[in-house]
Amino acid sequence: MKILLVEDDERAAEFLAKGLRELGHAIEHTADGEAGLAAAIAGGFDAIVLDRMLPKLDGLEVVRRLRAGGSGVPVLILSALDEVDERIQGLRAGGDDYLTKPYHLEELTARLEALARRHGEAAPAARLVVADLELDTRTRRVSRAGRKIELTAREFQLLEFLIRHARQVVTRTMILEGVWDYHFDPKTNVIDVHISRLRQAIDKGFDRPLLHTVRGAGYTLTEEP
Amino acid sequence: MRAGFARSSIARLALLYTLVLAASMVAVLGAAYVLTSRIIERETEQLIGAEAQGLADDFRDKDLDTFVNLVSDRADDPWVRGGVYELRGPSGDFLAGNVVALADAKRSVGGWTEFEVTTSRRDENLGRRIRAKITDLSGGFRLLVGRDVQDRQTFRHVMLQSLGWAIGATLVFGLIGGWWLGRRISRAAAAISANAARIASGAPGERLPTTGSGDEIDGLIGRFNELLERVDVLTATLRAVIDSTAHDLRGHLNRIRGAAQDAERLFTNAGQKDAQGIVIAEIDRLGATLQGLLRIALAESGTAPLEPVDFSGVVSDLYELYEPTAPGRLTAEVEPGLFVQAHRQLLAQAVANLIDNALKYGNDGPVDLRLGRDNGHARLEVRDRGPGIPVESRELALQRFRRLPGATGLPGSGLGLSLVAAVARLHHAELRFADNEPGLAALLTVPLAAGMPGDGR
Repeated sequence: MKILLVEDDERAAEFLAKGLRELGHAIEHTADGEAGLAAAIAGGFDAIVLDRMLPKLDGLEVVRRLRAGGSGVPVLILSALDEVDERIQGLRAGGDDYLTKPYHLEELTARLEALARRHGEAAPAARLVVADLELDTRTRRVSRAGRKIELTAREFQLLEFLIRHARQVVTRTMILEGVWDYHFDPKTNVIDVHISRLRQAIDKGFDRPLLHTVRGAGYTLTEEP
Repeated sequence: MRAGFARSSIARLALLYTLVLAASMVAVLGAAYVLTSRIIERETEQLIGAEAQGLADDFRDKDLDTFVNLVSDRADDPWVRGGVYELRGPSGDFLAGNVVALADAKRSVGGWTEFEVTTSRRDENLGRRIRAKITDLSGGFRLLVGRDVQDRQTFRHVMLQSLGWAIGATLVFGLIGGWWLGRRISRAAAAISANAARIASGAPGERLPTTGSGDEIDGLIGRFNELLERVDVLTATLRAVIDSTAHDLRGHLNRIRGAAQDAERLFTNAGQKDAQGIVIAEIDRLGATLQGLLRIALAESGTAPLEPVDFSGVVSDLYELYEPTAPGRLTAEVEPGLFVQAHRQLLAQAVANLIDNALKYGNDGPVDLRLGRDNGHARLEVRDRGPGIPVESRELALQRFRRLPGATGLPGSGLGLSLVAAVARLHHAELRFADNEPGLAALLTVPLAAGMPGDGR
C-alpha cells in the first residue's frame, strides 16, 4: 500500500514509517496540516494516517477539506486525546477510523488494511464465502462444505465481521468495536472466549481450520494455513 | 406541587406573616378599645360626680321634704334617661328613688359602685348595668346617683366582635395573599431549579432566562448565571488541562513504545527479545493506567456529552459479552426498554467494570445481574458471593488506586471502581455497596431519561 503519513511528532513518525515500511508499505511523510492536505489532494495514496493535532491546519480540518474536495481515500485519525469523546468528532469530520496513542503497530496496520480494502470493495456482497464456508446475510444461513451451521445472533455477527475482513488480521478492539460497538478495553479475555466458541462451531470436525490466532495481534479468517 | 407548597419556606413565611399581622391587629384594636372605654368611663363618672355634688348641695340648702321631692322628680322624670337615684334615711328606710340598690351595694374608693338593676320602678332599667356614686349626707342620710352604663357594655361587645372579624379577615386575606405570593415565588424557584437541573445534566453554556422585571428573583437569576459562567470557565480550563496532559503524556508514551518496539525488532537473541517484551508490556500497562485516569478525569469534568441510551440494551450486551468467560456463573434478569441520559461508552465501561470485579472477586461463585425500574430510576444490581467489602472499607474502595487487602494477587490497576464512581457522578447516579449475605451487591441507580414512562416527572 502507498500510505500518506501526516504527523508532526518527528520521532513517532519515524518509528511508525519504519514499522510500516518493514511490512512492505510505501510511506510518504509530511509534518504539518497544509503540506499534508496538499499531498493528499495530489492523490495516489491507498490510505492516509493523520494526526489529530497538527501545526498550520488541524487534522479534523484536513479531513473536512479533503472530503469537501470529493476525495474518498480512507483516513485513519491518530490522536492523543481520549477516544470516547473525540472519536465521534473525528468520524463526523470525515475520518474512517480513529486510534489513540500510544497505539500498537499491529493494531494500526490491521485497521489500515481493513480501511483500504473496504474502500476498494464495490457494494458489500450479501453472500460471503471463504473456502468452503458460506454466510448469507439475507437468509442469515451459515454453512460449511454444504453442512448447515447453527449460530446465535451474536456469533453470526462475529462471523460476518470476520468474513468481511477475511485474509486480514483483525484485533480484539476492532472486534469489540465492529461487533458490539463498544470502545473500551475489556481487560479480560472476553473476545478470545467468543472466538473460541465460534471456532467450535465452524472449525470443529473439519480437517482445515479457517479461524487462526495471529500472535500478538488478533485473529484472521483465512483458508491459507 | 401542593404538598411541596405546604413544605416550602414560602408557606411558613406566609403563615408567620399572617400571625404577626393578626397579633398587631389585636394590639391596635385592643389599645383603641381600652383607651375609648376609659374616656367614656371618665365622662360618665364626671357626670355622675357633678350631679351627686349638686344634690348634696341641695340637701344642705333645702329642707328634707323638698329634697325628697326633688329626688323623686328626678327619678321619675322620663327625660332623664338612664338616671338612677335612691335616697335612704338614717335608719335605712327608703325615701325616694327609682331603684333599690343601696342596701346591698359594695362601695369602693370614693363611694363608687357598680351593679345590675334588680328592683326598679322603671321597667326599662331592669337588668341594666349601672355605675353609681354613693354619697353620705349629714344626719345618716345616704344618696345614690347613677347612670346606665349598658352602652359601655354594648360598646365593649361591638368592639370585641369587630376585633374577631378583623382577626378573621386578616387570617383569610393573609393566607390567600401568602398562598398567592408563595405560589408566585415557588413557581419562580421551581423554574430556576428545573433549568439548573437541566443545565447540570448536560446543557453547559446555557443560562437561566431572566424575566426582565429587575426584581429580587431576577437579581438572583443574574447571580446564578454568573456562577454558571464561572463553572463553565473552570470546566473548560479543567478540560483543557486534561486534554493537554493527555496529549503530552500519550505523545511521550507513544514515542517510548515506538522506540521499544523498534529496538525489539533489532534484537536477535531470545533473552533480549523477552526482556524487551517485558518493557513493552509495562509500557502498555502504563498506557492502560493513564487511559483509566484520563477517563476518570473526563467523567469527573462533566464535559462528556449525554444522550438517551438504552440501558437495558447495554446491560444485555455486557451480560452476553461476559457470560462465556465464566460459563454457568453469570445470570441476568433485565427489564427491557429502560432509557437513561448517558454517555453510552462510559456507562458500558462502568457496567463492564462492575461485572468484571464481581467475576474476579466473587470466589468463583455465581454472579447475578439485575436491571429494573425503581421509582423513576433504573436500578442495576451486580451481586456476587465473594468475601464482600466490610462496611468501613466501602468508601475506600471507590478511591483512586485503592486496592483492598486480598486483591493484591489479582490483575488490575485499582482504577476500576473509581471509574465506576466517576461515571456514576457524571450520570447523576448513585453507586452503593451492600451486603449480599454473603458477598457484595453493587447497586447503581441511574435516573430514567425524561419522557420515559414512569420517570416520575
